[in-house]
Amino acid sequence: MTRRPGAWPFLLPAVVVLGAIQLYPTLAVFWLSLERRIPVFEVAEFVGLANYRFLLEDPRFWQALGTTAYFTVVSVGLELLWGGGIALLLHRRRRLRGLLLAGFLLPWALPGVVSAKMFEWLLYPDGGLVNSLLGAAGGPAGINWLGDPAWAIHAVILADAWRTTPFVLLLVLAGLELIPHEVHEAAAVDGAGRWRGFVHVTLPLLAPVLGVALLIRTIDALRVFDVIYVLTGGGPAGTTETLTVYAYRTFFGTLQFGYGAALAVATLLAALILAGGYLRLVAPATRPAAEGA
Amino acid sequence: MEEAPNKAELFRARPARLGAWGLLLAGLLALLLGCRGPGAPATEGTTLTFVHGKVLGPSDPLPGLLQEFEARHPGVRVRQETLPSSTDEQHQFYLINLEARTPFDVIAVDVIWVPEFVRAGWLRDLSEVFPPGERPAFLETPREAASVDGRPYGVPWLMDAGVLFYRVDLLARYGFEPPETYAELARQARAIMEGEQDPRLAGFLWQGKQYEGMVVNAFEQIWANGGRVLAPDGRVTVERPEVVEALGFMRRLITSGVSPGWVTAADEELSRRSFNAGRAVFHRNWPYAIDLFEARDSPIRGKVGMTRLPRHPGGERVSALGGWSLTIPRGSRHPEAAWELISFLTGEHAQKAMALGAGFKPTRHALYQDPELTRYQPYLPSLYPLMQAARPRPVTPYYLMISQILQPEWSAVLVGIKSPEAAVASAKVRLLHLLGQSR
Repeated sequence: MTRRPGAWPFLLPAVVVLGAIQLYPTLAVFWLSLERRIPVFEVAEFVGLANYRFLLEDPRFWQALGTTAYFTVVSVGLELLWGGGIALLLHRRRRLRGLLLAGFLLPWALPGVVSAKMFEWLLYPDGGLVNSLLGAAGGPAGINWLGDPAWAIHAVILADAWRTTPFVLLLVLAGLELIPHEVHEAAAVDGAGRWRGFVHVTLPLLAPVLGVALLIRTIDALRVFDVIYVLTGGGPAGTTETLTVYAYRTFFGTLQFGYGAALAVATLLAALILAGGYLRLVAPATRPAAEGA
Repeated sequence: MEEAPNKAELFRARPARLGAWGLLLAGLLALLLGCRGPGAPATEGTTLTFVHGKVLGPSDPLPGLLQEFEARHPGVRVRQETLPSSTDEQHQFYLINLEARTPFDVIAVDVIWVPEFVRAGWLRDLSEVFPPGERPAFLETPREAASVDGRPYGVPWLMDAGVLFYRVDLLARYGFEPPETYAELARQARAIMEGEQDPRLAGFLWQGKQYEGMVVNAFEQIWANGGRVLAPDGRVTVERPEVVEALGFMRRLITSGVSPGWVTAADEELSRRSFNAGRAVFHRNWPYAIDLFEARDSPIRGKVGMTRLPRHPGGERVSALGGWSLTIPRGSRHPEAAWELISFLTGEHAQKAMALGAGFKPTRHALYQDPELTRYQPYLPSLYPLMQAARPRPVTPYYLMISQILQPEWSAVLVGIKSPEAAVASAKVRLLHLLGQSR
């Protein structure tokens, strides 16, 4: 980093804009989280860390945190598997590739609410398409997809993974295209088979891209809202309630702005900690690749 | 020497150009303001903003009615603003806009919001404009639900009460009378399911998804067993055995097979469609469903009976009150004209049109006997006592917060991951925390 004297005037607009739309709201939410505030009833008092103390004892918070973690791990894992797998298949293909790619990308173009509504219809317990097909195929009849705690969280994960897999697919496909042919040829000359070539050549060279995909998707999944709000509303029994849904309900359902803000701050902290961890993992992997390319 | 005048010109040009921009801006602003009717001086008369949820019935008579209103009140125009039909989303919309004093003139509010909105100071007291002599023409429960401390803040526009639908043909085949108790209902449902040997036929469908509608179902069961979540004096009585028993009964409906497991994911429409397709014996819903059951292409047309919800031993046959009232927000700039609109829309003529077109259930006593209306909706007289028996959910500014506490707890009982005792215990702790009562 070399310091240039004239840099500040150029940086200033960005700093001001970021400060106004990022830093200020974040600080305001943090300040709000130190208050007991129900604005419509004109309740506003400074309570220090009381909201955070209640949060630590609040079983609903811990349940939401656990649900968020489970949702994030499983849905991001699925997306990486599916997105990566489809990318590998498409990468080898030349014919009809554009068409296939467009088809695979379509779910990503849908707004989350629309795709969630679609899944709601597909998963209707009585007369929904999925249950009808399962029934016709002699499978288990009448699965209660959205009303059974064991199924509901997975139905939600499925709906989310379906919509966001294309994003991972796109990133991984781009990563694959960037790996030079010569590397694969050299590996083949050295006698590496398909599997060894994949494990020792493709995967390491893909690692930075996978890392970035993982980072973006994880942070996105931590903040998941639309799919859950539409499909289950957090039910049954709060088993699909994530931190953002809980924060939303606290804000707009119960009007407790102070405690809602504390929940939002907790979500932010979780995302920051995870992002920090990832960056430590991903950053070393990125540098050699960037220099090599 | 040549440069000097040029420079001067340049410097002079700037303010001139600024002035031009300023003029342009001012012009644009004036244009914008000119377009905004309400802000302009009242030479053109007044424009009322009327905000309400989407009208879902078979047709929407509202635009026609509003035109009629405009024709009767020269100089007054009504601008409709339609919100999504979900009550939660509408509540959020009002929360933001009423707190910001957006100048709406008439808004339709859900019965459960009135105490909250009044406490927040968002609604106008209508005591002065709503003539006391006219008030008794409206049914008492919805009228009281739109009042706080005896002062009216809204006029009931349409109302709802939970009712029990049953299959007349199936009950007759087995020689059953419509059930008066829930135990009877369960017994009849089981007998009919056994007799019909149809694996797709369910016994009793209701709403058990984690949302406000499920809380309504639970209130009805709790009241039918003589219990209450909050006592009339505001004390938390959620841990009482009547409440625990009622919740246990709802869970047993599912475990015993009288209700299918998927009622834990069912809202009004999901359960209504299944009953409408002929796949259930009993069904709890709002009266709107009858118009769909009796529609021309309905497979169960002419086979549906409607009666009061049953009771448990020691309780009474009550149902929950639903519905919407028309109110005037504090921010309204034309309260007099707004009142004219309310009194027109809640009048007999407009309510009749809404009942015929959109299936709204009237809030005026007289309309339940109206000859023209009952010709098209012959069930109206039998609906009348059901509507009168409706009971409001706990009337408190904190109702929505209370419901948010009850939803996950009751849902946990219905899906069987919490016992009713554990659920009421944890609901009690949270209710006390919310209401600031000591344990």
